[in-house]
Amino acid sequence: MHVLIINGSPRVQKYSNTDKIISALKEGMEQYDPGITTELYSISDRKQWDDAREAFVRNDEILIALPLFVECIPGLLLEFLSTLPPKDGHTRMSFVLQSGFAEASQLRCGEKYLKTLPGRLGCIYKGTLIKGDNFSIRLVPDDMKKKITAPYVQMGKVYAEHKGFDCEEARKFAGPEYFNAPMRLILRSIFATFGRIMFRKTARSWGCDKPLNYRPYPASR
Amino acid sequence: MILIIDTTGNEDMINEIESGLNGRNDYEIIRAKDMKIGHCIGCNYCWLKDPGICSVKDDHETILKKMILSDQIWLVSGTTLGFITPLAKNIIDRIIPLATMNLKFKGKQMRHELRYKSYQFGLIYDGEADKAFMEHWSDRVAINFGSRTKGAFKREEIKEAVSCMC
Ligand SMILES: Cc1cc2nc3c(=O)[nH]c(=O)nc-3n(C[C@H](O)[C@H](O)[C@H](O)COP(=O)(O)O)c2cc1C
Repeated sequence: MHVLIINGSPRVQKYSNTDKIISALKEGMEQYDPGITTELYSISDRKQWDDAREAFVRNDEILIALPLFVECIPGLLLEFLSTLPPKDGHTRMSFVLQSGFAEASQLRCGEKYLKTLPGRLGCIYKGTLIKGDNFSIRLVPDDMKKKITAPYVQMGKVYAEHKGFDCEEARKFAGPEYFNAPMRLILRSIFATFGRIMFRKTARSWGCDKPLNYRPYPASR
Repeated sequence: MILIIDTTGNEDMINEIESGLNGRNDYEIIRAKDMKIGHCIGCNYCWLKDPGICSVKDDHETILKKMILSDQIWLVSGTTLGFITPLAKNIIDRIIPLATMNLKFKGKQMRHELRYKSYQFGLIYDGEADKAFMEHWSDRVAINFGSRTKGAFKREEIKEAVSCMC
């Protein structure tokens, strides 16, 4: 099997969380079947668009991995997709939708859209792997990156076995729709204390000298 | 203040909206179709380096400043692959300077704390799309603005949309 993988993130490949997730998925695919080959294009680099478009025409096993951007697909990925010529209904298309917020419910609106997308491109929908809580991948050292993305290795195997994510194992990967009340209480207090301190610390290391809730523009006329 | 962001350049549609609002002086229309507006590059600078400021320097800043001063934001868009257009989505993707990095729970879900205040949100679209999905998405956007949606309206429903601009 040969899989065309498209990274739909507008963030440059080096810093893209999606890119690290794709690496783990590929590792899983190769573990399942060493004969599997892949090719990867990143939408953040417009110079790759022509090749990616040509690959879309040529391949019948397509996996689009993308970050949730304001509740749906990023504007830049939408622009790329709008330049694709429709196919003839023999191509399988699956998605990996990953996000910052942790609960599965946060990704459902985006998933709803992705279900309709392959049909509009003349492809067959083969499921969406959903997972939140990925914001920090870009902020942590390489060994931590590996740890956070490790669960995706198994999902790479699942993809290779099912030629998509249309199966129970992939559905379960999404985790809880909402955190239960006791968990929310714990998280709330972490956000208000440790969370704030950590974000502040990161900001300082990025050269930020303002409070994170700073208002650069007038809030009234 | 009602802010109407038109991304279609369809003056007939804008006229229809304006005539519905006849004589009111509490609205402003931004014609974004020919503005220079790039996409969010995901640098996170607006949260962690230069809070509230987008590092992509183009005409989006004008929109952002006007959003901050408004109470209600209406997006007018064509459709692409059953969703809003890339230009319209890029404008919305770049609202994140209106929120801060800090997290909270709003009801049962995680959200980012708002930098300024909340804004109501509505969508008017012209083209093929599933209305129920467009409404769902508008509502999700509104949640990020700290409110609920005013609705998603097809072009033929402009009158109805305008009656919600209150
Ligand atoms: C403009 C923008 C909008 C985002 N919108 C959401 C969102 O609506 N919900 C969410 O959970 N995460 C959201 N995120 C977080 C990203 O989905 C998350 O950080 C992801 O891991 C980024 O992957 P990437 O590095 O490959 O771009 C947003 C990030 C950006 C930059």
